[in-house]
Amino acid sequence: MSKFIDRPRYTCALGGALIALRALPRTIPIIHASSGCGFNVSNATTAGAGYLGGGYCGGTSASSTNVVEREIVFGGEERLAEQIQTTLEIIDGDLYVVITGCMVEMIGDDISVSTNKFAAAGVPVLPIPTPSFRGTSYEGYDMLLSGLFRLYTTKGRQHRKNRVNLWGLPPGQDIFYKGNLTEFRRLLGRIGLDAYTFFGEGEPLSNLQNAADASLNIILSDTYGLKSAEVFEEVHGTPWISVPLPIGASQTANFLRTVAQALKIPDAEVEQVIAEEDARYYDYMERLADIYNDADLQRYAVITGDANYAPSVARFVSDDLGWVPRLVVITDSLEPDDTESRATLLARFEGWESDIRPEVRFDTDASAVVKYLPEAWEPNHNERYYNSLTPLVLIGSVFERDLAIKLNAPLLTLSFPATNRVILNQAYAGYNGGLTFMADLFSALLVGR
Amino acid sequence: MDYLKSKTPPVREDRLGTGVAFGGTVQEVRHAQKEGCLNLASRSFSQTQGCQFTLSLAIINTMRNAVSIMHGPVGCGAISIGNVGQSQTFKRLRDPKAEGLFWLSTNLTESDVINGGEEKLREAIRYADKEFQPEMIIIAVSCVPALIGDDVDAVIQELQDEVAAKIVPVQCAGFKTKAMATAYDDVYHGILRQLISHPIRREDRQVVPDDLRDVQRRYRDTRTVNVLNVGTMSRADELELERLLTALELKVRYLPCFSDADDFRYVLESALNVSICGTHDDYFIKHLETLYNIPFIIDTMPVGRRNIARWLRKIAEHFDLQEQAERLIAAEDKALDEALEPLRAQFRGKTAFVGGGEVRVLTTAEVLQDLGFRILGLKVHHYDEFVEPIYESLDDVDDVVLAVSAQQPFEQINLVKRLQPDLYVGHVGGGNISAKQGLPLLPLFGPTFLYMGYGGVYEMARRIQRLMSNYQFNKKIAAHCPLPYRESWYAKDPFTYIKTELEVSTG
Repeated sequence: MSKFIDRPRYTCALGGALIALRALPRTIPIIHASSGCGFNVSNATTAGAGYLGGGYCGGTSASSTNVVEREIVFGGEERLAEQIQTTLEIIDGDLYVVITGCMVEMIGDDISVSTNKFAAAGVPVLPIPTPSFRGTSYEGYDMLLSGLFRLYTTKGRQHRKNRVNLWGLPPGQDIFYKGNLTEFRRLLGRIGLDAYTFFGEGEPLSNLQNAADASLNIILSDTYGLKSAEVFEEVHGTPWISVPLPIGASQTANFLRTVAQALKIPDAEVEQVIAEEDARYYDYMERLADIYNDADLQRYAVITGDANYAPSVARFVSDDLGWVPRLVVITDSLEPDDTESRATLLARFEGWESDIRPEVRFDTDASAVVKYLPEAWEPNHNERYYNSLTPLVLIGSVFERDLAIKLNAPLLTLSFPATNRVILNQAYAGYNGGLTFMADLFSALLVGR
Repeated sequence: MDYLKSKTPPVREDRLGTGVAFGGTVQEVRHAQKEGCLNLASRSFSQTQGCQFTLSLAIINTMRNAVSIMHGPVGCGAISIGNVGQSQTFKRLRDPKAEGLFWLSTNLTESDVINGGEEKLREAIRYADKEFQPEMIIIAVSCVPALIGDDVDAVIQELQDEVAAKIVPVQCAGFKTKAMATAYDDVYHGILRQLISHPIRREDRQVVPDDLRDVQRRYRDTRTVNVLNVGTMSRADELELERLLTALELKVRYLPCFSDADDFRYVLESALNVSICGTHDDYFIKHLETLYNIPFIIDTMPVGRRNIARWLRKIAEHFDLQEQAERLIAAEDKALDEALEPLRAQFRGKTAFVGGGEVRVLTTAEVLQDLGFRILGLKVHHYDEFVEPIYESLDDVDDVVLAVSAQQPFEQINLVKRLQPDLYVGHVGGGNISAKQGLPLLPLFGPTFLYMGYGGVYEMARRIQRLMSNYQFNKKIAAHCPLPYRESWYAKDPFTYIKTELEVSTG
């Protein structure tokens, strides 16, 4: 049985789907749920994702059936059909997607009955159930993508050699999703690949429609988006690989090699690109070599984040920045029997260049992080000479602020929720993201200068 | 009023005939309200608008020394994420040692939907008590447990002796009502049932007869007023109102927002309960009158010069302090009037649209009229009897357009486009939508600004001057970021999608 969660770092399936829809161009959500569901999750994500905002038709603009007791008793399919009709009348979009909240799922509404009435509407109206008692925002993202790949992506297209799709960064939960996607499109472009990421800068909806012409799907995650990759393969026959989110030069070079290998791109071509990217990257990193060494900016680190960020951030600060991560808390809501995901994630902490091995814990609770500190570092037993866990930097979410104040350590927020900063086009992944991350991290140490 | 024997309060559609969908003029809506036919309308197109669960959190999240439990699937109450940092800051303005915002989600999953969520709730209550050691554990009950029939009261009864914290249930399942303001009744219902009892003796007790002590206590109780604050108030608002009431030699206690359990323990040690917003408070203070015989005043909100004066006069009358009140009002009014004069010159002939909660909207309209604005349109989340006294402060609004709609920006956008005001004053949460019409925007309230009392009028005036002096940000947004509505929508009547009483009852 799953347990209660102390301050969840995600919303629900409906929330994940809604924010993903907000991230698609001219895509109109139609929420079939109680009146507060959309409002609640939008407000959570608007603030928590570094002020993502409502966008074209999210936030309080989102169409919603706002079902009340009458529909709960008599069924909500008629109300939904009415709402679809009026939404099409008022809201100007290219794709309409019905998503659901818990109540209408519990009473057994079949939303496809309602959407089928609009088969001749001239624009697609798709039914994608997203009951929130079946998962968090991460699952909602996966449910939405699975639905879109089944219902929206055109079937039977010829696979093209240099076309790939890339996903696995849930919008909002990954507060840097858009900047990151831009960076990966750039990098894949450098090795001759045309990547569709669906949620990236300036990407049209046709990228989602034409997604089946890809010859490979790249899932930038060990855990998110895997189910939709399976659905994609089942429906469109496209193979997929899952790779960890690469942050900084070393991880990103490996990412490029993995992709090149899967697509049989000649080594020489890829190594040439890596050499150029490395040169550019280290030209910037070199700037820090003075202050890093003059001021001894090596730090211990405690890292809290989701399954995408926590392992990659820890490895980045260890293997690229030469820091000493001591504790990593992975905050996903994993089923207790999900040993496979845990094993995959734990393996990401092996084989580091630095030979450092932080303590890794899986815990959903915001109050848990502090409890693992004594396991990661010997507490002070009132010794005369105590080797303390200082100087320390916390990398996590805004939930770690109280701990940062208690430990008198700077905090850089990069995981959801991050209500204390604004994220626009920044990336924290890839080569460029590594540089931005580095700049923010060291800036946090130098605010007093 | 006494609804405390039932587990949940009645919804406002039933108790107050609250309307959530109406479009017309002020005159028309007042007529419909008096006829009692406002509460049946609905919409065939609607936008997500919040629910009584999310609105309950507006009070619950302010409580000090409290942990809340969102009893529902993992997303319910996630809206609190937006308050994590601010909550602590604002609590600390009342108590420098106050902790931040803590909540647990019972994270109900599919198997809980089948088997019930009570066991998880028990675990969460025990954990909250042990881990955080709060004075209060507030359980916000969402749609799912309400529908599957979790007996939250039974769980509380079972655990109350086991845990140190007072457990307060708030039954706020969103699907029960479209009148979100029922949320206030839900929270007060829990507070009234669990936190209010006859006064206990304070720490200053002595186990001896002491006439002087008794006289002092009686005097204190006869001069203390409970002022029912709202979650949208700033600390500056509270200090301003306290300044005015202190000038009348009254002692002020603020409840329920930013209170801790102690504040509720002493709630009965007062001579009068004063509402700031009837729509917020009536359930609580009418119960206090019925159950504990404490008189109350529900009238207007002290925003705008006429409304402040009216609010002060009502209180003064209760304590027979009319003369002092008149002197205070005259002095305050004169000083403010002089200060406003140079600003008024800049606002003369300008127009405004105001949207948000009914009481704030109409009192803020008074401020705007006072500054020289002409009110072109009003939009209120819901409509009921509590705004009736405010009309006396307004000049000639009978024919002003009034929309009753919670959020529903599609109606607002249509109206604003027709009316073309120079200034938009609006409720938070729709900023990105209003911005796309390129207008200067004053938030209707704000936890870091002064809005109430005489100081509030001046603050609003000088902020409006600043906001109107440069609104390039919104102009740029409007020029480059489209709204999602079809052109044809703007040609239609903004109230096209309101279903009449007949349509609703038959279909």
